[in-house]
Amino acid sequence: MSLDPLITVEHVSKKYCRSLERSMLYGMQDIVHDVFSLNGTNGYLRKNEFWAVDDVSFDVKAGECVAVLGPNGAGKSTLLKIISGIVPPDKGKISLRGRVGALIELGAGFHPLLSGRENIYINGSILGIKKKEIDLLFDEIVAFAELEESINTPVKFYSSGMYLRLGFAIAAHLKPEILLIDEVLAVGDVAFRLKCFNHVNSLAKRGVAIILISHNLNDVSRVCHRGLVLQKGKLLTAGHLADSILSYESISHPILDSNMASRSSPVRLKAVQTLGHQGQEKKAFHSGEDVVVEISYDSHLTAGDSVFIIKLASVELGEFLSFTNRVMRQPIPIVEGGGSVRVRLRKLPLLAGNYSIQVHLYDAAAETFWDRAVPACTFDILEPLPEVWGEFHLLRVDHEWILDQGSVGSIESRPES
Amino acid sequence: MISASRPTIYEANSVRSNSWSVWKELFADLRNSRELIWRLLVRDISTRYRQSILGYLWAILPAIATVAVFAFLTNTRTIPVGETPIPYVPYALWSLGVWQLFAGCLVNCTNSLVNAGPLVSKVKFPKEALVIAALGQPLVDFAIRLIPVGVVLHWYGVTLYWQSVLIPLVLMPAMFLALGLGFMLSIANLVLRDIGNALAVILTFAIFLAPVLYPPPVTWPSNLINLLIPFNPILIASQDLIIRGALSMPETFLFSSLLSVLLLLLGWRLFRVAIPRVCAYA
Repeated sequence: MSLDPLITVEHVSKKYCRSLERSMLYGMQDIVHDVFSLNGTNGYLRKNEFWAVDDVSFDVKAGECVAVLGPNGAGKSTLLKIISGIVPPDKGKISLRGRVGALIELGAGFHPLLSGRENIYINGSILGIKKKEIDLLFDEIVAFAELEESINTPVKFYSSGMYLRLGFAIAAHLKPEILLIDEVLAVGDVAFRLKCFNHVNSLAKRGVAIILISHNLNDVSRVCHRGLVLQKGKLLTAGHLADSILSYESISHPILDSNMASRSSPVRLKAVQTLGHQGQEKKAFHSGEDVVVEISYDSHLTAGDSVFIIKLASVELGEFLSFTNRVMRQPIPIVEGGGSVRVRLRKLPLLAGNYSIQVHLYDAAAETFWDRAVPACTFDILEPLPEVWGEFHLLRVDHEWILDQGSVGSIESRPES
Repeated sequence: MISASRPTIYEANSVRSNSWSVWKELFADLRNSRELIWRLLVRDISTRYRQSILGYLWAILPAIATVAVFAFLTNTRTIPVGETPIPYVPYALWSLGVWQLFAGCLVNCTNSLVNAGPLVSKVKFPKEALVIAALGQPLVDFAIRLIPVGVVLHWYGVTLYWQSVLIPLVLMPAMFLALGLGFMLSIANLVLRDIGNALAVILTFAIFLAPVLYPPPVTWPSNLINLLIPFNPILIASQDLIIRGALSMPETFLFSSLLSVLLLLLGWRLFRVAIPRVCAYA
């Protein structure tokens, strides 16, 4: 296993055109330029063009598995297509050292009328693999795809799950040194996905460099150590997976019109922020730490009571909890001219991630809606890092293990027997 | 395949070099994709008639029907056709076979990229394999059509000259011509689907520009057509080998062959330059 990167991406950019007619015109222009070896139009944008991938650089070493995260249209799939060599970059350079296996679209190479068996051979030769080599791997592929019974059936009778299993089994078993997987695994059932991730893990251990695109953060946490976040074609974050997940989550919170309240609303939210236990402004916490939320408002009236509803949300789960002063029977008076109120979330047991706070404000009877802020602010829980075989998902639960005395005794007595 | 020692590089403006190394790369890629071309070829041929009862009869029936209609029309003098050197039915059946080979290759190559669908835009491999493999099916159909041609030649008592074994060689330029044009049209068809439709229409009329259903014109100015359409000298050469065992116009045949090879090289090169730009339209 060499320490040299297997995939090197240097300042890669790619532009696309928003209008079909113009893109055909530009395409012809570009081909003419290419044919006569003229100076290309690669370097600048023409009308209606935009950078789908914009000056992206990173590398992947042998045995590394990198997740590419980002909202829809961020340029993830385009980046993968450039790396796999399907489309050339407009700027920059990509170097690959090793055989590439790519799974960019499900069953892209399958002929519907042919059987699974015939398609394995055709797919193999499309990927540049000789028949003899495929002969040796054939049984392994069929076994992995769990298609022993339907391998001689035309693939047009396959379900999408069977398509995925065959496609993944081919791409992952043809001895790739570099493996590129676009968001295709989502089609598989839980058991097969787990199997895929275990296989990806074992490939990484054997020194395969892997790039994985997925929107499922739980899935990528199973296999990836590093993450890249793309936003509008630009590389926003590159680093440890947890940092990338935080960064991805913080750009992905759905933003409703936070200015829901009409201008005439007598009470309006002014600012919401998170504070540390000493009252200082703080945005990053450890799991189990106190988090203080400070809400300030403007008001044209005085009221003896009001209802503050606070909700917490994550990108993965959406809103997952909600609480209010009404349940605590804690009246919150509203002061004319404005004021602020703090709420302390004691020993917040959330696991690492980026979370958003929503605030909804009503009058005391919860009949008149005053204002809301969605999201009002976000905060991060940094530690401990999520780990599939450690702590995972949302909450850290206060727990202890209780061992049955008898079983403890029997284990202790075993060496003597 | 990509070796670990020599990195594969994808770079901006990488297609911009018109040197000999480009041609060397082209031929190396062709050699490496032999197996792929063969597999695609077998795939197309084996799936062609998979959901059909008449199967390979479909390769023969249209030609027989066309010749039957024209034989009737010429026999009844509805269409005045000049005297053919051998009886009309074997003459027309053979010529139609050669025409269908050429037209079939051209149509199949032109549609090859569009028919491949996401394979073009989502998988990295030498795409010319698709276009080259598209020649297979018309070739097989042609081979099947040789059966009725042989039967009819025998029926009419036409004996073949030994020079007929050279026919495959004479037909090579027709394949080159179809492939060269096919390379260019397949790209155009990927961007503008009109190309495939237009080609089908053009070919139904173009058959009358070649001496397929009538003997080659020998008088000025109508014999100009033998020179203007590069396919014609190739067709005439194939007819010559059956009729008299020698070429009647070897110079024009050579010229046509040379033109076909040049068109093939030009088409191939253009294809290579254009394919990365257009595969997004698949």
